[in-house]
Amino acid sequence: MEILGALTFLNTYTLAELEVGEHFLWKIGNFTVHGQVFLNSWIVIGLLVIASLAATRNLQKIPSGIQNFMEFVLEFIRDLVRNQIGEKEYRDWVPFIGTLFLFIFVSNWSGALVPWKLIELPSGELAAPTNDINTTVALALLTSLAYFYAGLKKKGLSYFKHYIEPTPVLLPIAILEDFTKPLSLSFRLFGNILADELVVAVLVLLVPLFIPLPVMALGLFTSAIQALVFATLAGAYIHEALEDHHD
Amino acid sequence: MDIQAASVIAAALAIGLAAIGPGIGQGNASGQAVAGIARQPEAEGKIRGTLLLTLAFMESLTIYGLVVALVLLFANPFV
Amino acid sequence: MFDFDATLPLMAVQFLLLTALLNAVFYKPLMKVLDEREDFLRSGDTGSKDKLAKAESIVKEYEKQIAEARRESQNSIQKAQAEAKEITATNIAAAQQEVQSQREAATQEIEQQKATAFATLEQQVDSLSRQILEKILDPELIK
Repeated sequence: MEILGALTFLNTYTLAELEVGEHFLWKIGNFTVHGQVFLNSWIVIGLLVIASLAATRNLQKIPSGIQNFMEFVLEFIRDLVRNQIGEKEYRDWVPFIGTLFLFIFVSNWSGALVPWKLIELPSGELAAPTNDINTTVALALLTSLAYFYAGLKKKGLSYFKHYIEPTPVLLPIAILEDFTKPLSLSFRLFGNILADELVVAVLVLLVPLFIPLPVMALGLFTSAIQALVFATLAGAYIHEALEDHHD
Repeated sequence: MDIQAASVIAAALAIGLAAIGPGIGQGNASGQAVAGIARQPEAEGKIRGTLLLTLAFMESLTIYGLVVALVLLFANPFV
Repeated sequence: MFDFDATLPLMAVQFLLLTALLNAVFYKPLMKVLDEREDFLRSGDTGSKDKLAKAESIVKEYEKQIAEARRESQNSIQKAQAEAKEITATNIAAAQQEVQSQREAATQEIEQQKATAFATLEQQVDSLSRQILEKILDPELIK
């Protein structure tokens, strides 16, 4: 017991604390929102918009500096979307999937790289926006809507035929898939980011110096991979909706 | 056994059991990837990219277990 | 932890706004630039292909000319060699002829001298034999 007491004593001086489920609540009318999520997402959005504006302010045929970097990013996104959706229809979906990727990626890395703990909030703490289940569910539901929109726009009401093809026996599973897709998307992202932050927090609690660094690096890596996975899966779902089953 | 003790044990079991399957799966996938690279060293980049993506998919299964464990620990609906 | 509230729809709306904004300031202009550059590269590609073909045809022309020149030079060398051979052959023949004629003249002279020498010798032999006879026999007997 004495060791535990020493730990908690030490803990009052360290930067990290385990905080799960505490929020900086704002009230808007009858609704409450998580203020820290919005604050941080605004920072992320500001970063993205500023980078885009800086890149496209003075467009040149031979790129240099920030334009070069953003073109590299855009080509990466374009290749990702093209690989998933195919040459014919990928152009319409570059903005959506690209923004998914960029928003999640910058959010994850902002949570892992910036010591938000230094900024005091009345309650809760600033962290990656994707650390909150609301954000990930919102993104996952948007993805669901996107692939429904894609299918309906391309095939009209005959899009729903794929539920009973090739046999109506699979109808329950096909319907169930529409629910498990956003569920797994959102939980995967949320769980990974939260797990990263928790692991780092627990390690910092035990050994505050140097030891958590490799885990932090691993966290950066998994954050990037999760952004890629989310974007790839969104592309794959949209492609599935666009695909012709009749040929 | 009261509900709290049960929740803690359940959380431990959730993450522990959820780690088994993906562990085996990741081992299989990595082994196959290494065999593939050994057979075709020029395809290493492509194999590595696909491997990382599939590893992330398998990893997410453990993460689901972790989410359940976290729910049991921090947001238990039965306490 | 799983406390859903107004954050969810607001975040969704915010994300859609971000998509629209980025589409306006990031994707559209940069995609346009990328496409334009691709077009430019492709057209540059065809231009360079034309130039390459032209250069290749010029190179072929030059090679043909070089081959012709080489053949010509070969021809002239052969001609010169043939001429040189002819000249040497005629020279050699002339020299041989001269030598022949000189030798013939020499042999003729030798023959002539030999004949005259023989003639004088015969005369001497005659006179000598007459003298011998006169000395051995009576001069009257001879008459």
